[in-house]
Amino acid sequence: MLLSVDGLCKTYASFPNPPVQVLHDVSFGLDAGQALGLVGESGSGKSTIAKCLMALTRPEQGSITYDGTDVVRARGADLLRFRRDVQMVFQDPYGSLNPRMTVEELVGEGLLVHRLEPTPAARRDRVAEILRTVGLNPDDRGRYPRSFSGGQRQRIAIARALAVQPRILVCDEPVAALDVSVQAQVINLLQDMQRQFGLAILFIAHDLAVVRHLCERIVVLHKGRVVEQGTRAEIFGSPREAYTRALLDAVPVPDPAVGRARRRQLQHQS
Amino acid sequence: MSAPAVSVRAPRAGLGLSAFEASVIGLVVLLLAVAVVGPLVAPESVYRSDIANALLPPGAGHWFGTDDQGRDVFWRLVVGARTTLLSAFLVVTLYSLIGVAVATIGAAGPRWLDETLMRITDIGLALPGMVVALGFAAAMGPSLRSAIIAMAITGWPITARLLRGIMRQTMEAPFVAGARALGVSRWRLMTCHVLPNSLDVLIVKWAGDVGTTVLVLASLSFIGVGAQPPSAEWGATIAGARGYVSTAWWTVVMPGAAVAITSIAFGLLGEIIQVRRDPSLRGN
Ligand SMILES: Nc1ncnc2c1ncn2[C@@H]1O[C@H](COP(=O)(O)OP(=O)(O)OP(=O)(O)O)[C@@H](O)[C@H]1O
Ligand SMILES: [Mg+2]
Repeated sequence: MLLSVDGLCKTYASFPNPPVQVLHDVSFGLDAGQALGLVGESGSGKSTIAKCLMALTRPEQGSITYDGTDVVRARGADLLRFRRDVQMVFQDPYGSLNPRMTVEELVGEGLLVHRLEPTPAARRDRVAEILRTVGLNPDDRGRYPRSFSGGQRQRIAIARALAVQPRILVCDEPVAALDVSVQAQVINLLQDMQRQFGLAILFIAHDLAVVRHLCERIVVLHKGRVVEQGTRAEIFGSPREAYTRALLDAVPVPDPAVGRARRRQLQHQS
Repeated sequence: MSAPAVSVRAPRAGLGLSAFEASVIGLVVLLLAVAVVGPLVAPESVYRSDIANALLPPGAGHWFGTDDQGRDVFWRLVVGARTTLLSAFLVVTLYSLIGVAVATIGAAGPRWLDETLMRITDIGLALPGMVVALGFAAAMGPSLRSAIIAMAITGWPITARLLRGIMRQTMEAPFVAGARALGVSRWRLMTCHVLPNSLDVLIVKWAGDVGTTVLVLASLSFIGVGAQPPSAEWGATIAGARGYVSTAWWTVVMPGAAVAITSIAFGLLGEIIQVRRDPSLRGN
């Protein structure tokens, strides 16, 4: 297992509010090259898991192990290696890119800080190549994030993350802030990247529709607890938990025939 | 930082200056023009005594009259504008740089260093700046240079404290978490991500600070620890004319008015910039 999360507990203490425990004993694992979906309603603790995973915040209990490294306590060279190998794409494409950096600086920053391309010229070439890979025009590399649409910004964010050739990409609701029309494009891009580079993806979403397309394994989170996890077939075929069924019901089904079939199936089950 | 705030920003229709704003900006531009061009066109007699024409009241030959040395008050003000404004810019620039350095080193360094720097800043804030500057300037030997250095080393705590606070807010921005997740060092995080997105506050503060500094610098010169006669610096000019308030009011009132108008003009400019950047303040 490339990344394993075991017994994660996280409490937010923001004085003068009473402390709130948002994660209770969360455990799951991610294999190399796998796409794992993490699904739960708003406030269920999905982003908190992502923050713990990215070593942006410290859980008070539990362990996160990446390829033999204890992520929670990693420092120095170990942490830097982890930071290169595990990248993240954030939900908000407007806030997650530094507005004072050009596309070239944003995408090339990882190459710079991890010293992957020694010369500025090599960095430029590599940035241009990645921009093409994610479907952006390399001629736009001197522009700032504000002159791009949400979908394009998310492509910049993906390019920035992929530039350092990570092994794991954590995507925290990467399409939730986008127009429905561009959501599919970004999802398809992520899927292409996963296949092309053999990436493992942890894909966070608040409904099952997006995840269904992309992820072979799914973890269902409810109020900070993992209520169910299994393969796509298990979750969509025979969800065991009432909460998962409720989430399934919330998935809009564009094809009326499928919708009818599913309703029959649900009635049949209950 | 939220999505709508970026995309729904109202389109700016021209500059849309009110008459008041336009006149303040016009005044500041005029003052800057005088500071730049004035000394080039002034007669060289501004530094030469002409006792025969001493203390003439304002009139056709000398618009603002003459001082006790018979020097033209108007032209001395024009020449002094450059000294006064240049010194004020220098002071504000110097202490802003110190403030930026202190805030950034505190933010990037270990916690104890941050705490130490902020305690020193607090002490600096608690001390009466002008009195300390007076002490420094007197200790270095009274001169304009001493006054500038003294004000630079007493002026930075406000900048440092303000900027450190803003940087703390900027630290919450999602792109900062993004940069950390990418593996950016703490120093790079502060200098390339947090600082550039926090500096706006200093641009807003700059004009107001120049206004205050013009006044304090003139005060130091007036007390005698700043620019020395025969410098045409405004504070020094007022100091030189101190004895003639009752007999030749123009020798004191004219440079006094120059200090007041310049200080107020830059102060108002600062407020205009602030209101324009943050429309929620409008109407206050
Ligand atoms: N910094 C914080 N301090 C205090 N409470 C927090 C903090 N961050 C999140 N929370 C709380 O923790 C809970 C889980 O938040 P989290 O952001 O992980 O949820 P989420 O599943 O990502 O939700 P969403 O789908 O809305 O993004 C929420 O109730 C939230 O209010
Ligand atoms: Mg979230």
